[in-house]
Amino acid sequence: MSVPLKVIYNEESTKSIGNDLRKVAVQPIVNYSNISKSYGDLQVLRNIDLDIAPGEKVALIGPSGSGKTTLARLLMTLEEPTSGTIEVDGEMLWHQKTNGKLVKANEKHLHKVRGNIGMVFQHFNLFPHMTILRNVMEAPRNVLGLSKEEAVERAVTMLKQVGLANKIDAYPAQLSGGQKQRVAIARALVMRPKVMIFDEPTSALDPELVGEVLEVIKAIAAEGEMAMLLITHEMDFARDVADRILFFDQGRIIEQGPPKRIFNNPESERLQTFLSRFNRH
Amino acid sequence: MWFDILPSFWEGTKITIQLTLFSAVIAFFLAFLAGFGRLSKIKAVRFLAATYVEIFRGTSLFVQLFWIYFALPLFGIMLPKMLAGVLALSLNAGAYGSEIVRSTIISVPKGQTEAAIALNMTPWQRTWLVILPQALVMMLPAFGNLIIEMLKGTALVSLVTLADLTFVATVLNSSIMRPTEIFSVLLVIYFVISLPFTKGIRWIEHRLSAGRY
Repeated sequence: MSVPLKVIYNEESTKSIGNDLRKVAVQPIVNYSNISKSYGDLQVLRNIDLDIAPGEKVALIGPSGSGKTTLARLLMTLEEPTSGTIEVDGEMLWHQKTNGKLVKANEKHLHKVRGNIGMVFQHFNLFPHMTILRNVMEAPRNVLGLSKEEAVERAVTMLKQVGLANKIDAYPAQLSGGQKQRVAIARALVMRPKVMIFDEPTSALDPELVGEVLEVIKAIAAEGEMAMLLITHEMDFARDVADRILFFDQGRIIEQGPPKRIFNNPESERLQTFLSRFNRH
Repeated sequence: MWFDILPSFWEGTKITIQLTLFSAVIAFFLAFLAGFGRLSKIKAVRFLAATYVEIFRGTSLFVQLFWIYFALPLFGIMLPKMLAGVLALSLNAGAYGSEIVRSTIISVPKGQTEAAIALNMTPWQRTWLVILPQALVMMLPAFGNLIIEMLKGTALVSLVTLADLTFVATVLNSSIMRPTEIFSVLLVIYFVISLPFTKGIRWIEHRLSAGRY
């Protein structure tokens, strides 16, 4: 079902933006293949096929409950797909080969592959019992096995980058929402993932704090190396940052393409309706 | 009179404090073991933990104590009074404590585990670095209550003739027949022993929740 969509995208990219050809040739950093996810009778993802190229910034837009977040959570190994496979950097995420047979991945395998992925959550999920510095340095120290000095140095560098070097000794409860989310971004970045997921990073923020977080994400995106999967309701932001926009509805990718095309010439009726709702506000 | 009876009260007090401390340490250990056991992915472990908790919550401490002290010998297990007392108290409090451990661990928001997974922490690291430190703060007030309950529960061991405070008081009373004075002193001593526990727990609680509010 979703195969024709893929074809549309490839035609699209060959026609409009030539540099996207590069991405077709390179091995994708993330590959969703025929992924479905159901909760009981409720099917939230329907046969999704999706490739993300290394360094590519992909924005997912669409109404709430359309399956965007689930798609991201499958990649972060927070939920298990009902069927289909996901590959990260050429390696199966949810499956592993044992005696030539494809079986469900164990924790050890997940641990190995998951290291390529990072995630920033809507509700920050900072560790309230740790200072800002410890929030950021704990994983480099314990997961990457860096020495304490190295972990501190990396964490401080990252906190400087998000403009919070002066908050090192504060606790999360002492920060504003925007500051919390910037710490969360630093905490995810410090692990140097190849793919970073932003799951509605500004949806829980007061309107006046949205800007500072979007600025930080834009700056990271501009560095280029890391692929990004952005779930957002900030259409201007998606247009600025993304190489490609995916429009989700009812568990399917309805339409995809470069931002200009998606926002200026939406083809499907559902996308047109969806966008018109945004333009009115 | 007081000159004669105070030393015996002191001996009883020592036994009561020992009982409380030993039982508290073991109960704490059991509470974690059973609390985590009930959250285990392995069904047999969950079943074992639940069985322990239900048995020791569902029967009275009094009966458990008698059973350990008087019935176990029939199976060839003779325990000294002190050990029998500690065992009964800690098994009982451990069962209650495990519910505290279990309920606080599941009350740590799911987002915390998810953030830990996103940082690629191992299950052990998630528990040790992220979940437990947060659960521990929530456990403390309830554990404080439990220790005080246990301190008061130690009075029951006098029934297997272990010479704790209550035992001393009853023996003294039957010899000098001054219930008002003797049981007033008893009351005060229990209260005084409980104070450091209450204060201590509050102090730890304060220390552990630094910066969080």
